[in-house]
Amino acid sequence: LLQVLACPLTKSKLTYNEETNELISEEAGVAYPIVNGIPNMIPHDARIIDQ
Amino acid sequence: MEDKAKMVGEVFSQVASKYDLMNDAMSGGMHRMWKDDFVAMLGPCRGMSIVDLAGGTGDISFRMIDALSSQRKIVGSAESAIDTHVTVCDINAEMLQEGRRRAKNDRPAVVDGISLQWVQGDAENLPFPDGSVDAVTIAFGLRNVSRTWKALSEINRILTKGGRFLCMEFSQVKDPLLRQAYDAYSFNVIPAMGGFLAGDPQPYQYLVESIRQFHDQETLADLMRDAGMKHVTYKNILGGVVAIHSGFRL
Repeated sequence: LLQVLACPLTKSKLTYNEETNELISEEAGVAYPIVNGIPNMIPHDARIIDQ
Repeated sequence: MEDKAKMVGEVFSQVASKYDLMNDAMSGGMHRMWKDDFVAMLGPCRGMSIVDLAGGTGDISFRMIDALSSQRKIVGSAESAIDTHVTVCDINAEMLQEGRRRAKNDRPAVVDGISLQWVQGDAENLPFPDGSVDAVTIAFGLRNVSRTWKALSEINRILTKGGRFLCMEFSQVKDPLLRQAYDAYSFNVIPAMGGFLAGDPQPYQYLVESIRQFHDQETLADLMRDAGMKHVTYKNILGGVVAIHSGFRL
């Protein structure tokens, strides 16, 4: 999946955080949750990562 | 704008599992044929990366997998390598869960080098890199997007050079007699059917309204051109009740 997807906000690469089961967009500073095996890539639902 | 998105979300959470039943009832079973033709028109091939938008329950993607499965895996790839990617992207999680449930029976996540994946995403902000997709399809979903131009722009962005966009959607019927019959059917029969079969006429009133308000054939074609697509063409089914639009990124 990682190969296929990109951050909907910045269109840049994502990394997978195994611990939190999220797809991280470093460039946007947000984390997209994976719910019941389906990634939720809706910007509105993303979690902002404290930096 | 936000209202429409919320309403669409609610409408589809309600109808997810009754989707097929209503589609069959409303179209007299014809929607199946339309979807068969739609996928045949695309002619999916091994090696393609395909994104099906708003296709939560899997109708289109399953047909693609079937067409692809009958083709041989690309020679030379390793046993476990994936040569073909089909991704279903829908704004509604329930529709996707329903699709995934159906897929588990027949179509596992990866079979014979073809991967089928499910992503919740917004057509106005597609979660795919630039120029990464060979084909984008959307069947009976574009009218539910708040800003058509934005979705088309995003679709064009993610297409590779030579990539194709195919859209099947309810459109406008020009012939006055046909129009009269169609309107009578839409405004009277459909919500009543919805009330009877699905227990709630409201989503179907929404459906009929959204069809009436959607762009006509030429307007949609122009919007596609505005988004940068080339060789934009369309063909009518049933005198314009349904139209299939095609465009390329060149």
